Amino acid sequence: MGVLYHIGQYFLLLVRVFKKPEKNSIYRQQLVFEIEKLGINSIGIVAIISVFMGGIITLQLTYNMVSPLMPNYIIGLGNRDTLILEFSSTILSLMLAGKVGSNIASELGSMRITEQIDSMEIMGVNSASYLILPKIIAVVFMSPLLFIISVACGLFGGLITGPLSGTVTVATYITGITTLFVPYYVAFSIIKTFVFGFLIATVPAYLGYYVQGGALEVGRASTKAVVNTSILILFFDLVLTQLLFK
Amino acid sequence: MIEIKNICKSFEGRDVLKDISAVFEKGKTNLIIGQSGSGKTVLLKSIVGLFEIECGEILFDGRDVRTMDFKEQKLLRQEIGMVFQNGALFDSLTVEENVRFPMDMFTNKGLKEKIKRVNFCLDRVNIKESNHLYPSEISGGMRKRVAIARAIALNPKYLFCDEPNSGLDPVTSILIDSLIKDITAEFDITTIINTHDMNSVMEIGDKILFISEGQKCWEGNNTQIFSTRNKKLNAFVFASPFSKKFRELKKMEEDE
Repeated sequence: MGVLYHIGQYFLLLVRVFKKPEKNSIYRQQLVFEIEKLGINSIGIVAIISVFMGGIITLQLTYNMVSPLMPNYIIGLGNRDTLILEFSSTILSLMLAGKVGSNIASELGSMRITEQIDSMEIMGVNSASYLILPKIIAVVFMSPLLFIISVACGLFGGLITGPLSGTVTVATYITGITTLFVPYYVAFSIIKTFVFGFLIATVPAYLGYYVQGGALEVGRASTKAVVNTSILILFFDLVLTQLLFK
Repeated sequence: MIEIKNICKSFEGRDVLKDISAVFEKGKTNLIIGQSGSGKTVLLKSIVGLFEIECGEILFDGRDVRTMDFKEQKLLRQEIGMVFQNGALFDSLTVEENVRFPMDMFTNKGLKEKIKRVNFCLDRVNIKESNHLYPSEISGGMRKRVAIARAIALNPKYLFCDEPNSGLDPVTSILIDSLIKDITAEFDITTIINTHDMNSVMEIGDKILFISEGQKCWEGNNTQIFSTRNKKLNAFVFASPFSKKFRELKKMEEDE
């Protein structure tokens, strides 16, 4: 019953979010602000994590997969496909669910308990649309960009650590990342990032928007937002992989 | 003028408002008073439409809110200004942007014109040279005044204030009270204030509605309130030792 209630409320909130904005110019300003806050400000952490993960994946492949029976370029190839198919789309989205999701839930939750949302409603502003729509657009459209940055940084991380491990040369690594490239993998992952971006923006927004109580509840909503979004990302990863790879 | 007729509201089976009717007059400061938990805030939020009532009517100059469609309700809301207990200013906006916000949303005025109006509203509440400060950088009293400036930015017909004096020192409270009273008279607004501050009752209570346990117990003004025989109201009004002393002095005066 509780789950059905929340699903219903979530979709009702989305209906309000996608209603025609009061004033497009104000929404555009808000969108630029959200793109900077939720997207641009995440580039640094995404790049750092991806460089390290690219390096770690390369080292793991070097220590576990290199054998006289396999060509050495498998290290570059393995790193590239791991990054494109799962790390830079799914794992990165899980990380963004923590960073961006908790930010959205706590921001909206704080606004709710300090009556800022009520004051917007009394003015006649569609608070759900004004506060949430720019966040959804920002996260959904910044997610593929972050995915591309992550793949590039991950490949760069591999490029540094692979040759350092002594088992693969720069030339062999580059051969690996350019061999047997399947463009569909990129399309598949970009589709995933759109879906995950939508979840990262809407689930925490729902939990933050309907907070009742005080600071403690805002904290709880923030934690709940990260947990629920992460579970939903993994669930949709499973569904999309099944659907898009069939 | 705002008229409420037989309003009822309950939360999870618990009746919070029971059959309340009242008339709040234009150009006057109408006060809703009562103990904490008596239903004042629920009543105020029901009138502005933040809570949906279960029965009764709310009429804004004869227009019934419950029979209005979404568009009409939205237009009505643009005629309403509200000052929340803690100001409810938007944290991410400066003082100027906060006051400008309703104009940005609902008018097609140019920036210069909007800033002129912002400065007029801020000037009206005695705030100067704070346009570019954020709410976290100003005092509680200033936040309330900025909230009043924002509430009057669109020339509202109706002004609602939820405990405007809570958390303020007596001097600032008196300033806020007189500001609300002056604005009400100056712009001919229907003002409803939720309070349990007896200073406000004495200073600006043109019309007072006393609520206890979700029911209307008394109606009158700030001169009638001290001579009433309503036991619940007397217990509320003369709760503090200071006011008890005041009543004794008044009795002595009357006896003489």
